[in-house]
Amino acid sequence: MNSTRRDLFKLVGGSVVGAFFTPAPWRLIADSALWSENWPGIPRPARGEVRTRFTNCALCPAGCAVRARCVGDQPVALMGVPGHPLSHGALCPFGLTAHHLPYLPSRLKQGPAKEAAETVSAAISKCGPSEQVAVLDLRPGRTASWTYRRAMASVKNGLYLAPPSPLGGSAAFDLQEAKTVLSFGAPLLDGWGTPGNVIAARENFRLIQAEPLESRTASLADLWLPIRPGSEEALAQAIANVLADRRGQGLGGAPADSAGRGQGNLAAVTGLTEQQITSVAEELAHNGPALVLDGGQAPAAMELNRLLGSLGRTIVARRETPVPEAWKKAAPVTNLASVPDGSIRVLLIDESAVDGYLPWGTIERKLVRDNPLVVTFAWSRQGYGRYAQYVLPTAVYPEVFDDIPPAIDSVAAAFRIAAPLVAPPAGMVNPSEFIGGLAGLPAKDALRERADAIHKAGRGTLFTYAGAQSTAVRDMNPDDFWKALNEGGCWLDAVDESGASHRFSWPANADDEKRSSAPPEDLPLVAITCETRAAAAPLSPLMSKLYQESNLRLAANHAVLNPVTARACGVAEGARAILQTRCGSAQIEISLDSGVPPGVVKVAAGAGMIDLCGGPGGHPTRAKVVVA
Amino acid sequence: MTSEKKPGKTARYGMMIDVDRCTGCGACMVACAVENNIPPAHDGADDRNGITWIRVFQVDNGQDYPNRRSAFVPVLCQQCGKDAPCVAVCPQQAVQVDPATGIVGQMPERCLGCRYCMAACPYHARYFNWWDPAWPAGMEKTLNPDVAPRMRGVVEKCNFCHGRWHAAKQLAAADGHAIEAVDYVPACVEACPTGAIRFGDLNQPESAPAQAAKNGNCFRLLEKIGTEPKIYYRSKKDWVRQIASAPKPGQIAPKLAGKETSRG
Repeated sequence: MNSTRRDLFKLVGGSVVGAFFTPAPWRLIADSALWSENWPGIPRPARGEVRTRFTNCALCPAGCAVRARCVGDQPVALMGVPGHPLSHGALCPFGLTAHHLPYLPSRLKQGPAKEAAETVSAAISKCGPSEQVAVLDLRPGRTASWTYRRAMASVKNGLYLAPPSPLGGSAAFDLQEAKTVLSFGAPLLDGWGTPGNVIAARENFRLIQAEPLESRTASLADLWLPIRPGSEEALAQAIANVLADRRGQGLGGAPADSAGRGQGNLAAVTGLTEQQITSVAEELAHNGPALVLDGGQAPAAMELNRLLGSLGRTIVARRETPVPEAWKKAAPVTNLASVPDGSIRVLLIDESAVDGYLPWGTIERKLVRDNPLVVTFAWSRQGYGRYAQYVLPTAVYPEVFDDIPPAIDSVAAAFRIAAPLVAPPAGMVNPSEFIGGLAGLPAKDALRERADAIHKAGRGTLFTYAGAQSTAVRDMNPDDFWKALNEGGCWLDAVDESGASHRFSWPANADDEKRSSAPPEDLPLVAITCETRAAAAPLSPLMSKLYQESNLRLAANHAVLNPVTARACGVAEGARAILQTRCGSAQIEISLDSGVPPGVVKVAAGAGMIDLCGGPGGHPTRAKVVVA
Repeated sequence: MTSEKKPGKTARYGMMIDVDRCTGCGACMVACAVENNIPPAHDGADDRNGITWIRVFQVDNGQDYPNRRSAFVPVLCQQCGKDAPCVAVCPQQAVQVDPATGIVGQMPERCLGCRYCMAACPYHARYFNWWDPAWPAGMEKTLNPDVAPRMRGVVEKCNFCHGRWHAAKQLAAADGHAIEAVDYVPACVEACPTGAIRFGDLNQPESAPAQAAKNGNCFRLLEKIGTEPKIYYRSKKDWVRQIASAPKPGQIAPKLAGKETSRG
């Protein structure tokens, strides 16, 4: 048989067609898939010895205990420490991803530290008699805070400023003791206090949440009171009236408030019925001990605590963590609101540890009109760096070596160190060394000095994470105590049995100017900020899972409106719009949700949005939404 | 098709999620991403094409303010115990059920990226890699060495942190005993600050999921389609339990609007 060229073509063609019916092409695809898995574009995780290290999270004052899984010296996963007396093994999503923070693209890598130091020194020496030099510490109570206070005590016209703190910072809310908690918008189940501690206590108290929006806390509360925006004080007054009426049985009806409003008027202001208010008041009175919390620490809410007998029961005095005797010659803590307007010539802002971002407007009006000097210590330019002459880069957690003051729900004094898990890059500025240096104070060993002072006091116990053991401080020598603190130990003060009486005080409300009985016609909406945890803190890129790849949390520059409100404003779902307030304007993306009350715009609180709309818990800001 | 076998001494891992305890913090979502080397979102990613092996949906009772009530429902691969649709449709056998654990596994190196499994999954719990995985410079140092990052063009999903199971199994074998409940938990379970997510072997009657299966307030998603999911949810609220029959996570059942009741 002769083979022809045609036969050859048929053989080749048949083979090609037949090959598709064999495993060969699929094998080729699988092999190329295997190859593509290892192509250079896909990073390969580093391998090495796996170790466990411990530290404390410095992202917020909760200071949760952290167990880091490290490959070599590099942390690859962070988790909580089960059995920890304060954090109870919990760690929030911000803390879980904190090992990514040193690699943030938006992070500052260098800054003109030397030039800034010279400029600040020159500006201090030129300060007039009525001009002040101030340090604004956004996380007071740290060892660094003492350095600032000592430095400001030795600088002419020095001021140490701190944001208003509930109860003056020397007392704590004891959730473990509370049976009924009334919260005026405090995010109790969304990052308030020490989250693990709140969760551990949650089974024991009934939670009544009064706020305009159904927040995470409101959705899990035993009772949500959907009050009108800005009516927290009226509700507190109405409850106080009921309580006063119960006490003074037979003395007449409920008294009117300072504005002369009766109980019916107060109820109308809140949007609740008188019966609802009476029911809440009765519950607070009967199911005690009660505790009233307020997102903005309004005096009216604190007054309710006094009426309910919470002081000394669910609001308890907390001793200060010991400090060396020599440190006590320090500048007092001054509330920013009490500083005269236009009086600060030099302002140094420690933004490396932020508990609450203050709107820039409240700071700016305290500065002198002509050419004030503002220096901020920050991880990025996203916060006050937008307004400062100098932004000096700082280490971020978990590079930072700092202590964490006790949280608002920590009934005992505590001392924890955020020991660095990775080394900070060159060029970072330590704010306490910079500010201490202005006054000639060495601050490098301040943490060790304070640890020695705590050891010298001989009180309390040290909880070590590796062994989950508590050891009495008096049974340890100073070096072992210091070493244990650096390995993630937590010092907890002993219960104060001295019986010393404590005078509770709370900051007066200095924000009266925002209150307005009649809404201005040009700003028909009320802006309410949420997601305040993300305001100025660094966020891991993986938080995109919550803000971008799902709708779990409201992303920055997004706003939510009721469909009725949106129609009135002429905007639709997904539209770009402009949010305007008295402080300025910003572009936002609109979402619609009929769960938002009409007349309200719910916005995510980035630093810029807080500058625009005010901080959480404050009086609501009037706003307007217009088509972009 | 590979279906799950039930030999006598194998495990059948499952979860119990207490919806009434979930605060919607998202710790499970980020802990999962850290553990399984899921990359941060690409600029173009959104809630439709992002990758979240576990996703917390905010669901509500369908009413307007002020009667609106919300809850948070974490949804992950439901680890179908019977006739898993994704297994049946995969042309590459890239989806298989591990007979030793009952875990529905996904093998990205076999995956062609045809996304039949995504279309077949009634729980929308599978995710496609639309982009090359990328981390900001330096952040690749924080990757978990036990899990290989996946390439663009393949599907991935929750596998109950199978890498952790392997590690626990090796440790248990080295110690000369069988793997125990305390040896192995997925990252989301470990990270949940409220203890809303609990994990265990459904073959062990004392495990949390096995106990939950007997509880009257428990439900499973789309139970009527007969895939026998191994994720049990629990809520005392009637309207939350109705979520089980919603056609898509995050939606409410059509018949629910206007009804809000609670079993207390």
